[in-house]
Amino acid sequence: MLPDRYHDAIEHWRQHNFPDYPKLAEVWPKFFPKDDAFCLCAKVSEDISPDIEIGDDKGKPKALAPKELGPEAAQHLLGQIRAQASTEFGSIQQHQMTLFRAQEPQDKAWALRVMAEELRHGYQMVHLLTSSDWSPVTDTKPEDMVEEILSMQTGSHVLAAFNLEFDSFLDNVVFAAFIDRVGKYQLTMQRISAYKPYASSMPPMLREEAFHLAAGVIPLRRWVEHAARGDGYIDMPAIQKSVHKWFGRGLEMFGDERGGQTNVKFGLKDLNNRDAQDQYIQECAKMLDDLNVRYVRARFPDRTRDEADAIFARVAAGETVDGLSRDDLLRLPDRRFFRRRGEFAFQMVGTHGETFNDVETYVAHVLAALPEAYRASIDVKHWADMQREVVAGTKPLKEAMASMPRLARQAGGCPCGKSVRWVVN
Amino acid sequence: MGDVRIRPVNELDIEAICRIDERITGKYRPDVWEDRVVYFIRRDPDSSQVAEVDGKVVGFMLGEVRGGEFGMEEPTGWLEFFGVDPAARERGIGRGLTDALLAGFKKRGAHVARTMVRSQDAEIARFVAAMGFTPAPVSALEKRLA
Repeated sequence: MLPDRYHDAIEHWRQHNFPDYPKLAEVWPKFFPKDDAFCLCAKVSEDISPDIEIGDDKGKPKALAPKELGPEAAQHLLGQIRAQASTEFGSIQQHQMTLFRAQEPQDKAWALRVMAEELRHGYQMVHLLTSSDWSPVTDTKPEDMVEEILSMQTGSHVLAAFNLEFDSFLDNVVFAAFIDRVGKYQLTMQRISAYKPYASSMPPMLREEAFHLAAGVIPLRRWVEHAARGDGYIDMPAIQKSVHKWFGRGLEMFGDERGGQTNVKFGLKDLNNRDAQDQYIQECAKMLDDLNVRYVRARFPDRTRDEADAIFARVAAGETVDGLSRDDLLRLPDRRFFRRRGEFAFQMVGTHGETFNDVETYVAHVLAALPEAYRASIDVKHWADMQREVVAGTKPLKEAMASMPRLARQAGGCPCGKSVRWVVN
Repeated sequence: MGDVRIRPVNELDIEAICRIDERITGKYRPDVWEDRVVYFIRRDPDSSQVAEVDGKVVGFMLGEVRGGEFGMEEPTGWLEFFGVDPAARERGIGRGLTDALLAGFKKRGAHVARTMVRSQDAEIARFVAAMGFTPAPVSALEKRLA
């Protein structure tokens, strides 16, 4: 457990940002009857290599305190922990927006559990920031680091994926399937961290993350079946548009495609950004293929497995079979589509990899591919403004990439008017 | 066929598991396997295993460590569901899955693994016997409810 003041600060944050948390205990016996009760606590794994597993210092003992790392490596590590913490708390704020629009009690209970476990992951990060001496790395005191993290709101988080508002429960589910999947990659890469307390934190988080991915994929599997039978509420175009909303933000969570070697050199991760991203893309493509297979089976219930597989293969290759065409199925957009960070930022590439020369035609293409509610958001408007300015040459690409739709709010973010620091003090 | 790779199950294996089950039973039961696989992923995603050949899942084995059931307090590794694609049999896939599952059980503190086999499933009975399972000093009882 964290010292009382930090534990209380997180509890205070939870009251304002995750008010439905108490409902988890109510639904737990019904939906997770044999599972141990949820515990808001830090967990560590003992099953971690004592030696650095990759990079320049491979074979040397892992650091047990930040000061045992080189200054630059320690800075990178601190940045990782802060970013990880921001994602954990940020995703809860997003899920909370639309949690109770879930149509199925099970979906709602699963999302509640995901949120609670994300809270535990955030708690884990606060534990890492407050249980070691970071003074050789930063002048910021631990309580100020915690204050900064807990005062972030949707719009002021470190990564863009956590600054998008959820428009419906479809976002809760697609986010779990796509964005938590990036989280799985980050945690997996960080499992070899040269900083042992961080590496030891990863296995318990990964075990919980496995369920989070299922909490995205299973509802999607059931929705596509209903969509195929025509008796559901969520159709394939709605899912496809949500994929368009989230996929690019997921890719950008890996960092610039051309980077990541420094983390490998310092022994903090075992893959560079592009390699990790490539694996992620393959996995997302497989996820959509599986959903498409489920759709085809439901659309043609009288066909055998082999016949359905053959139909899927033909449709995927571009044929129309018994009224089913490629556009009826889900597909991953091109990795360059709707990007605002990294190697492909603000390149005008469409969902299928087609390139655009005219910015207004491209903006129209992107808008048509996004969910209607999201199109009305400040985030989309900000992207379109940046896209136009980059093309016109009035905004340097670097500035556009760094630009956020809202100013980061520092401190005082607590709705009761008391900053988190007030609780700590 | 390439080398066999055994790894923990994940949510993207569900369709492949449905496919294997369908090849064995002739039934497509996605809802059933979604519920089962999620149960094991939720409780202990490292225990349950799948076997891949050339990147394709050809076998699965689902189980977990529990204690206190039927008065048996000791942590017990329960082998609950498994299947190997008929086209991939006789390649040691079942043994590889069993070895990985039992190693995981042991790591989680179990000193015994248990399973149950219906009397009419002679093929399954032969398989689990070949894996070293022997009749246990417990009786499986049932009562039909009208």
